[in-house]
Amino acid sequence: MLAFEIITPTTILLCFLGVFIGIIMGAIPGMTATMAIAIFLPLTYVLEMVDSIGLLIGLYVGGISGGLVPAILLNIPGTPSSLCTTFDGYPMTQKGEGEKALKIGITASIIGGFFSLTILYLFAPFLASIAIDFSSVDKFLIIVFALTIIASITKGGLLAGIFSGILGIFISLIGRFPDNNEMRLMPPGLEEQLVYGFSLLPVLIGLFAIGQILQEAEDGMKPATHQKKDLNKPKQGKKFSLKIFNGQYINIIRSSFLGTFIGMLPGVGGSAASITAYSQTKSFSKHPERMGTGEPEGIISSESANNGLIGGALIPLLTLGIPGDSTTAILIGAFLLQGIEIGPLFISSNPDLWSGIIISLVIANIVMFVLMFFSIKYFAKIVFIPKHIIFPIIIIMCVVGSYAINNGVMFDVWTLLIFGLLGYIFPKIGIQIAPFLIGFILGMEAEKYFIDSLKGSGGDLSVFFTQGPIAIVLWILIIGSLAYAIVDNQKSKKNQAST
Amino acid sequence: MIPAFFTMNMSFDEYHLIFPRIIISLLIILAVVIVIQKIIKMIRKKEKRSFSFRFFSENYDAMKFYGTLLLLLLYPLALGLIGFLPASILFMFAITVLYAGNFNKKTIIVSISNSLLASIAVWYVFGRLFEITLP
Repeated sequence: MLAFEIITPTTILLCFLGVFIGIIMGAIPGMTATMAIAIFLPLTYVLEMVDSIGLLIGLYVGGISGGLVPAILLNIPGTPSSLCTTFDGYPMTQKGEGEKALKIGITASIIGGFFSLTILYLFAPFLASIAIDFSSVDKFLIIVFALTIIASITKGGLLAGIFSGILGIFISLIGRFPDNNEMRLMPPGLEEQLVYGFSLLPVLIGLFAIGQILQEAEDGMKPATHQKKDLNKPKQGKKFSLKIFNGQYINIIRSSFLGTFIGMLPGVGGSAASITAYSQTKSFSKHPERMGTGEPEGIISSESANNGLIGGALIPLLTLGIPGDSTTAILIGAFLLQGIEIGPLFISSNPDLWSGIIISLVIANIVMFVLMFFSIKYFAKIVFIPKHIIFPIIIIMCVVGSYAINNGVMFDVWTLLIFGLLGYIFPKIGIQIAPFLIGFILGMEAEKYFIDSLKGSGGDLSVFFTQGPIAIVLWILIIGSLAYAIVDNQKSKKNQAST
Repeated sequence: MIPAFFTMNMSFDEYHLIFPRIIISLLIILAVVIVIQKIIKMIRKKEKRSFSFRFFSENYDAMKFYGTLLLLLLYPLALGLIGFLPASILFMFAITVLYAGNFNKKTIIVSISNSLLASIAVWYVFGRLFEITLP
């Protein structure tokens, strides 16, 4: 097999480690897969590219999967993407079928994972081969589309979402413009530190990890109610068997597909995947009235969808260089660290790395399944680790990571703290983190393609409308996503009015 | 003929300003629209309640919040002054005690062991094993 020429035992070990840590972090409520990857990213600086991919993919798969543990046992989603797992998982725990529910969730996870992996493997090279021919205009419009779709899906209003995205672009423009080496938007006194703008990684870790910790501090770091109560031993209810999955094949495939598809939409996160799949399962179910009372069907749909998301989210990342969700946004940082450019040429010019990603996904999914299936009882205990032990460790890791990322720059630690504070303030004043982040990551690219397009046309703005069929399709998608948001908004307003 | 409105002046010296100008204008336009929307909403509701914006949640924990902020500010400064290990151990001890919220024997023991273990582990794994530059 060629596989073993690319993947070394170190890669497998790191992947294993990644899954293990990922499950733990996913299982702790308030900590997400995104945070897990952000914290460990600086460590990959010293690793080989394939090894670091193994570690990060492991963290990703583990982090998304670990969320089902507290969702089922405590009615608290460990990560946002396991939100819908609570609907049927917790009622099963109350009936004394906690372990069975966990095992159903784990099995659904691995199926969803493999489904999306297959789609990624088959579809990504094809999409990349189309994307090679994209012009600057097309690339600019893709970024606009990424921003409008994420703004249209996030809750809290279309305008606020777009504003957040553009604000992200604005922040990313601070620094020097590579074309003519001129500085712009400089806060006075920081010219030296901000030549290249804010570093991506401290911004990411700050927004996600430090922001979250400040929020928890405001809430008083109270032990969540679950940490006080003792989890009674699950009564030996009905045991788990694969028979539960009989008659669920369509459900699994539909949910995995929805998860993968939603993952492909740029910037749309795991909770949307799980919610969409769950509501579809409910409307197709033979017993919709029983959903939410402890039906395996619900767990299967939610968990296969959120693991389906992983492969889906990697598709736009690896073919267009546009992250599918905030977690894959951080993966961009990993490639940057190693000096590898992500875009349409990535798969064809790095075939080994591409195979490495696929193989890591396979290994991570298998490890996740084996680890969780056979030692779920021990992982279940993680949810009881008190916050005052975990959070200080996370802060230290964040500071070390930010400092190390550019080989020891203290300004990066201050960046971490500034954006940590922003990550805490933003949600309170209606600015949404996800579009802001996508805007920040894609801002420089957007500018480059915008200027390149105008250079080609001599400043004529109509070039964005008259440039071939791809641009027209993209305009239709952009307008479609905006229209969807407006219609959806009206609908929810009507619903509110009628109740 | 293309209307002049659709043509931008492209001079090399100004490349770096074209996009930021567009972005800033968009931000201002959106901000104005959002504010107008909010005002219309308030008028429609006939000011059932006057402008009430609450930044902190009710009964927020002022000590833990400002304590965290203060410690986060002091930590990088301390890193520069006394080095990674001492600064990290002190910082972790302080913040663990702050979060635990009391000062009894058990908390102290937990804080000391947590700060020592974690700081030394990070120092060893990152600094020695992986040779990453530490503050």
